[in-house]
Amino acid sequence: MSKKQVPVQEGLFTWGVEEPQLIGSKCTRCGEVTFPEQQICPNCCTQTMERLLLGRMGKLYSFTIQRHQPPPPYRGPDPFIPYGVGEVELPEGVIITSVLTEDDPEAFKIGMEMELVIERFFEDEEGNEVVCYKFKPVSE
Amino acid sequence: MREVAIIGVGIHKFGRFGDEKTGYEMGRDAVIDALKDAGIEWKLIQAGYSGSVVGRFGDAIVQDLGLTGIPVMNVSNACATSGSAVTLGYQAVAAGFYDVVLAFGYEKMPRGFIAIADPGASGMRLLWFGTIGLLVNPLYFAMKIRRHMEEYGTTEDQLVKVSVKSHKNGSLNPNAMYQKALTYEEIAESRMVCDPIRLYELCAPNEGGAAVVICSMDVARRYTANPVRIAASVFKTRLYGTAEVPHIYRSATIKAPTPVMEAAKEAYESAGIGPEDLDVAEVQDTHSGDEIMHCEEVGLCPPGEGGRLLDEGATEIGGRIPVNTGGGLISCGEALGASGLRQIHEIVLQLRGDAGPRQVKDAKVGLTQVYGAPGVSSVIILKR
Repeated sequence: MSKKQVPVQEGLFTWGVEEPQLIGSKCTRCGEVTFPEQQICPNCCTQTMERLLLGRMGKLYSFTIQRHQPPPPYRGPDPFIPYGVGEVELPEGVIITSVLTEDDPEAFKIGMEMELVIERFFEDEEGNEVVCYKFKPVSE
Repeated sequence: MREVAIIGVGIHKFGRFGDEKTGYEMGRDAVIDALKDAGIEWKLIQAGYSGSVVGRFGDAIVQDLGLTGIPVMNVSNACATSGSAVTLGYQAVAAGFYDVVLAFGYEKMPRGFIAIADPGASGMRLLWFGTIGLLVNPLYFAMKIRRHMEEYGTTEDQLVKVSVKSHKNGSLNPNAMYQKALTYEEIAESRMVCDPIRLYELCAPNEGGAAVVICSMDVARRYTANPVRIAASVFKTRLYGTAEVPHIYRSATIKAPTPVMEAAKEAYESAGIGPEDLDVAEVQDTHSGDEIMHCEEVGLCPPGEGGRLLDEGATEIGGRIPVNTGGGLISCGEALGASGLRQIHEIVLQLRGDAGPRQVKDAKVGLTQVYGAPGVSSVIILKR
């Protein structure tokens, strides 16, 4: 029997659809984009934001490999497994910090195409699979 | 605005002291050291500014040194905490509220990598971001230097060389945590922590204390013939369009100056000098790449040329602009609340000609710079 999947937090990404997207917001005045969605534009300092679903494809801006277990509230596998972390530039003009699907630095090259995926991160107290977004290199 | 001076500096060695001493006690001992250095009585101190991230009861100092009733305010701004304490003291004296104040800081950090923010205590809705493993050091520093390497050609070789220099300088500093020079190979072969950052290129969160006595120039002249002037003391948060430690997202269309650049710009304007006038600098080297990037951000060289500045030997003691002569955070470790005050301690020694084997010849103008989460920085310029 497959376990119930729940998002790590409501409102971060669309869920229960075939192609999930990150939920951001865009300023109707200056056009700047935030993630997650927020009410106040950090650039204009006004309440001029409206919801915007972000594209699922982007380009790798920078990356590293997290090789030691972060302190709480981290809830990863025990024993710890290293993971890639990167910044991914989306066409809407925003760069998202994200866990990456690979943990080998050789798998990454700045500028490469990346794709949003929703994956399991850990299991919560009720036995649900907690999921969140990651970015994955697009195979050539 | 009045001219403001430092007439005394004090320090408690940085390191790990177990149950031997509390963080507060290290701060207190640094204060006693600074008062002695200034030759001033505790009774004449009119206000105190205490910086600490973990301990928040610096006002307890009055219990140990004398219940004079003075205000002692506790401040906390992550790795830039010292900058807040000194800037508040500087502003109060410059504005004429007080003639003599104390800024001090201390910390007793647990071993290991710093959790960037405690989502519960901070009140920020970041729990989810921490659970998925994105609220930890030094990954944001790693991504910043990785991008710098891509854009400017900074190399892993240069990251190693910064650390070689830090440890060489640290071996000459009796207050450093690590007082041993390391070879290029020892650093280059140390464990990869967060690509491209290796273990011996990183600072260790640790314990220590530091203090300065700040007063008006009029008062300073009564205590010393050679006061060190605070030419500027600036503290900044971030602008929209930067990428800080940590960030969930950043703009891809607007690229604003970092809080370090902003603090440096205002400090130079306030001091009426430029980076070319500096003789010595202490910058925040959370890891060796940070030293390279912060040298650029405070204007010691153009953007992207921090690696070249290092390769030319300019940042060595004896070079054009020696950087982190006390061994930096890499050798001293980072006792958060005391770290920026330790930088000031080092620069004051340099400007007085009291830096012993680390002395920069005829140093007259120095700069200190700290950087902390979530995008705060302080830059201080000292002159003799």
